[in-house]
Amino acid sequence: MAFLLILAVAAAGPPMLPGDPGRAVAKPFAPPAWSGGDAPPPFSGAITPVSREITIDWKWDAPENLTLKGQLVFDEDSPARLVWTTAEGDSFTLATFRGGRFWEVDLDARDMAFKTGLGIPPFASATSLLFPGRGVQTLSLEGPAPSGGSLGLALPGGRWGLLGTDQRGRDVLSLFIVGARVSLLVGISATLLASLLGLSIGLTSGYLGGAADALIMRAVDVLLSIPVLPILMVFVGIWGKGLWQLVVILGLFSWMGTARTVRSLALSLRESCYVENLRSLGAGSWYILYRHLLPEAMPVVLAAVSLGVPGAILAEAGLSFLGLSDPRVISWGRMLHEAHGFGAFTAGAWWLIIPPGLGISLICLVFLDMGRAIEEMADPRLKGGGGR
Amino acid sequence: MRSYWTKRVLGAAAVLLLVIAANFFLFRIMPGDVVSTIVDPRFSPEAKERMREVFGLDLPLGRQFVIYVRRMLTFDFGISFLSQRPVWDELKSRVPNTVALLGSALVLSSALGTWLGVKAARKRGGFTEKVVLLSGSVSFSFPSFFVQLVLLLLFAYTFPLFPLRGSVSIPLPEAGAARVLDYLWHLLLPAGSLVLLGFGSWAIYVRNLMVKTLGEDFILMARAKGLPDGRVLWNHAFRSALPPVLTLFLLALPGIVSGAVLTETVFSLHGVGKYLLDSIMGHDYPAAGAAFYILGLLTIASNLAADAAYALADPRIRVGGRVQS
Repeated sequence: MAFLLILAVAAAGPPMLPGDPGRAVAKPFAPPAWSGGDAPPPFSGAITPVSREITIDWKWDAPENLTLKGQLVFDEDSPARLVWTTAEGDSFTLATFRGGRFWEVDLDARDMAFKTGLGIPPFASATSLLFPGRGVQTLSLEGPAPSGGSLGLALPGGRWGLLGTDQRGRDVLSLFIVGARVSLLVGISATLLASLLGLSIGLTSGYLGGAADALIMRAVDVLLSIPVLPILMVFVGIWGKGLWQLVVILGLFSWMGTARTVRSLALSLRESCYVENLRSLGAGSWYILYRHLLPEAMPVVLAAVSLGVPGAILAEAGLSFLGLSDPRVISWGRMLHEAHGFGAFTAGAWWLIIPPGLGISLICLVFLDMGRAIEEMADPRLKGGGGR
Repeated sequence: MRSYWTKRVLGAAAVLLLVIAANFFLFRIMPGDVVSTIVDPRFSPEAKERMREVFGLDLPLGRQFVIYVRRMLTFDFGISFLSQRPVWDELKSRVPNTVALLGSALVLSSALGTWLGVKAARKRGGFTEKVVLLSGSVSFSFPSFFVQLVLLLLFAYTFPLFPLRGSVSIPLPEAGAARVLDYLWHLLLPAGSLVLLGFGSWAIYVRNLMVKTLGEDFILMARAKGLPDGRVLWNHAFRSALPPVLTLFLLALPGIVSGAVLTETVFSLHGVGKYLLDSIMGHDYPAAGAAFYILGLLTIASNLAADAAYALADPRIRVGGRVQS
C-alpha cells in the first residue's frame, strides 16, 4: 500500500507542482510556515474609510519588506499624511498628501526614495528602523477622513510553505517531491541490472558446477572484499557524474548477493530428479536453464530485487551526499549534500536535513517490508523445488 | 592449520593484486592522455613529453604494470597535483586517524552488539530483545550519514556539547594528556554514531545464532550437569556460536570502510576517506589512487586479522580437521 502511494507521489507529483522547482520563491533558509520561531509570518492589513488605523502586535524579527499600495478618495481638499509609530514610541511620516481628491499610494520599503524620506542612508534597512523591537506598531492616517478607496499594507513573511526554503530560496517541498523520482529511478534500475547480472552468473555457475563454479565463486569472494563506496567513488571520478553512469556503476557492484543465492538454488536443483528426467528425455542444457531453472529462480530473484533496492538507494544517496552526482539533478542525497556544504548547520535549518533523510529511510523501509513479504511467499516454493 | 593459512594469505594477495590492477587500469582507460593522470596537466607540452620518458610511459604495458606494483608495495605514490608534495607525506598523517575511527567503531559496535545479542537471547520476549530487534531492523534503512547529520545538528549545534568539525581543535592543546583528551572528544561523536548504527545488525545476528544454539542438546546436558547459568551461556553456547560471528565480522569489514568515508566527510575528520573524496573532486589522480589503495589495504589487513581470530576461536582449524559449520 505504502509502495503504491510512493509511486503515485513520485510519478504524479512533479507535473502537478506549480512553477519550476529550481526557481527561488522566498528568501534563503526561510523556515517552514508552521514552525518559524523568530521569523515573522506574513501580515496584511488595510486602511479604509472605516478603519483609519492599523495596529500590529509584533512578536518577531523585523520583516524583509513593507509595501503600502492603494488609493484613497477624499471629499475635502486638505492635507493628510500616513504616520508610523513604533513600539518604542518614535513616529515616522511615511507619505504626505498635499490635498486633492485622489491619493495614489505606492510605497515599498526597499525604494531609495522611501529610505531618504525616513532619513536613513540608501543601503540601510528601512524595516529594521520601523520595527526596532517587539511590541505594538501602528500605522495611522492623519487628516480628513477618506470617503472611499483603501490602502493595503503587506508584510511578506520570513517563513515559507510546508518545508521552508533552501540556501537558494527554492521551496523544499517541491524539491522533496522531485527528488523522490531520482531516488526511485536510480534505485530500481540499478537493482534490476544487478539482479539480471546476478541471475545469469548465478544460474550458470550453479548449473555448471565443478571447477567453473569454484572459479566464479572465488571471483565473487574477491569482489566482495573490496570496499564498495571507495571503488564507486573512483569510478565516478573517472567516468563522470551522470545519472546513468551511476546506475551502471551501482549495478556492476551489487550483483554478488543475488548470484550467490541463485547459485545455491541452481546447485540443489541440478541434482534433483526432475532435471535428471529432463536430461534423459534429451533436453539440452540451455533448454533446462531457461525453461525450467529460470522460472524456479524467479521468486528468489524477486525477493532479492526488493531487498536490494534499499541498498542501491542508500548507495546513490551516499554518492550524492559526497557530491559525486549530477549537480543539475535534484535528489535527496544531493539535498543533504547542499545542506551539509552550504551552511544549513550555521543557519540551524533543520528542515533541509530531516525531510530528505526521512524520505530515504521511508522508501527503504517500504521496500524491505515488501521484500520480506515476498521472501515468505517464495519460501514454500523453494523447499518444494529441491527434492522433486 | 597450514593449509588454512596459505589459502587465506593467497586470497588476501589476490585481493591486493586486484586493487592494484584496478588502480592501474582504471586511471589508464580514462578518456584523454595517460600522462595527465600522472603529471600535473598544467605542465607545458615539452615538459609532459619529458615526464613521459621519466615515468616510463613509453614502456610496454606489462613492464609498466610490474613497476607500478613495485611502487605500490613500497608506498611510492608520486606527487600530488593539488599540493605538489609527495602523496605519502599527505597520507602519513591521515592513516592513524582513519585506523582509530575504524578500529574503535568496529570493536565497540561488535562488542556492544554481541553482548546485547546474548542478553536478548537469554530472556526471550524481554525488553532487551525488543530494543535489539527494533534498532537492528531500523538501522538498516536509515542512511548512515543522515543519522550522523542529525546527531551533529543535535549535539554540536542545538546543544553545543561536541565540536562541529575536525579531528583536533585549533589551536592544539599544550600538554600530552590534554591533547589525547581533545582527540578523544573529537572522535566521540563520529565513532559513537558508527557504533549506534552498527550494533543493531550485530545484535540481531548474534541473538538468532544464540537462540538456535541454546536449543541444542549439549546445552541441555550442561544445565543438567548443574553448571551455573552464566557459564552455560558464555563458555558453552557463545563459544560454539563464535565462529559464525567472526565470519560476520569479516563480511562487515568492507562496509565499515565505506561507512568511514561518509563519517569522515560529515564530521570533517582528517582521514584517508575524506582525502579520497577531496582528491577525486579535485582530479588529483595520484592522490586518489593512493587513498583507494590504502583503504583497500586496511580492508585486507583487517580481514587477515579476523581470519587469525577465527583460527583461534575454532579449534578444529588448528587441529587441521575439516570445518563443518
